[in-house]
Amino acid sequence: MRSLLNFLARYNNLIIFLILEGIAIYLLATGNTYHNSLFVNGIRGMTRGVEEKINNTRTYLSLRDINDALAGQNVALKNKMETMVKKENPLFFSYTDTIYQQQYIHSSAEVINNAVNRQKNYFTIDKGRLQGIQVDMAVVSDNSVAGKIVGCSENYSVAMSLLNLDFKLSVRIKSNGTFGSLSWDGRNNREAILSEIPQHIIVNVGDTIETTGYSAIFPEGIMVGTVSDFEKTGGDFYKITILLKTDFRKLHYVDIIGNLKKTEETELEKLFK
Amino acid sequence: MINSILRFGLIFILLILSQVLLFSNIQFSGYINPYVYVMFILLLPIEIPSWLLLILSFTIGLIMDFFSGSPGMHSSASLLAGFVRPYVLRIVSPRDGYEPNSDPSMVTYGLRWFFIYTMLIVLVHHTALFYLEVFRFTDFFRTMLRVLLSSFFTIVFIILIEFYRRGK
Repeated sequence: MRSLLNFLARYNNLIIFLILEGIAIYLLATGNTYHNSLFVNGIRGMTRGVEEKINNTRTYLSLRDINDALAGQNVALKNKMETMVKKENPLFFSYTDTIYQQQYIHSSAEVINNAVNRQKNYFTIDKGRLQGIQVDMAVVSDNSVAGKIVGCSENYSVAMSLLNLDFKLSVRIKSNGTFGSLSWDGRNNREAILSEIPQHIIVNVGDTIETTGYSAIFPEGIMVGTVSDFEKTGGDFYKITILLKTDFRKLHYVDIIGNLKKTEETELEKLFK
Repeated sequence: MINSILRFGLIFILLILSQVLLFSNIQFSGYINPYVYVMFILLLPIEIPSWLLLILSFTIGLIMDFFSGSPGMHSSASLLAGFVRPYVLRIVSPRDGYEPNSDPSMVTYGLRWFFIYTMLIVLVHHTALFYLEVFRFTDFFRTMLRVLLSSFFTIVFIILIEFYRRGK
């Protein structure tokens, strides 16, 4: 007993160190995957006030850019509406269409906390479960991919940014439809890497890259960026560098897109796994 | 006693605020992210009991984690920095030992001593932090570049702040 006490007294620093480091590693190991459990719901509430103040200042300073972007979106939407209304024959237009089912639901939110300089970047938006946001919804900024929701509290949600080493996205080259996998390599916050495109496909600098819709999270045809560089690597595939359309340093207003038929699709796919 | 608690409490708050409001917002490519809040661990008195040092460094890391939404990363890195601090102090100790009741500051022990002391602890902290952040050994050398660049800027900022403190 005495020698045990001596041992404890001699190594008490090491013991405290190991206990605290154990707590930290435990947080590290569990916190990143279950992002919504502890950090989003509970403790982050304390820091949220400061984050909102920082964000208010930052938004105010870039109001001009935001206005420009919104005006551009407005024009695009008006043009779209024009073409849609023209297309339909007013005589046979039926507004109680029972066959059509809405697949995607849109809502807009403001980014209140954002990071681009880490290796695993997340951002927080100001809408949560009470506003209908759920885990695995797509986050889109000005019609280009920004991230996906990984955790919700009542009034806030945390989204995994495209600039995250764990983010994977199924995308295709718009001109020929070949699909591959997009990921971020942690180097530059304007560029991502597209892999799994075989070398017999013709790729040009400037080709548009868009989502495929295979993931049941992102709708089909949302732009990701353009090809800025490609090289042939040792294997059978290209290594294509994509210039991202979204500038993550200027992320302010985003659209959240939920897939209403996602459960149906994943249930069906589960049967064949 | 009360006086020094107040003083270090103020330093604690000021360093966290400057980290969150200023240094974390330097978005100059992904390579340069100075974490100046480590300075708190550097400044604690030399004769502080080591259990208190460990708990304080864990606390400042945990608070940084709350702000950056990265559970455990900062806490484990700064806890490690607090753990190695007594050993670093022993390595860099001046020839006639430390003066009783003194702070490890530039005023007392000179720029050269303070620079080496800061460099060792910042390097330990940043190495742990950046490798924990990536959590894989692919791109080993790129992470090392990030560690070195960020450490350089952290050390520069800490020494600038220390000069300012001396001027007062």
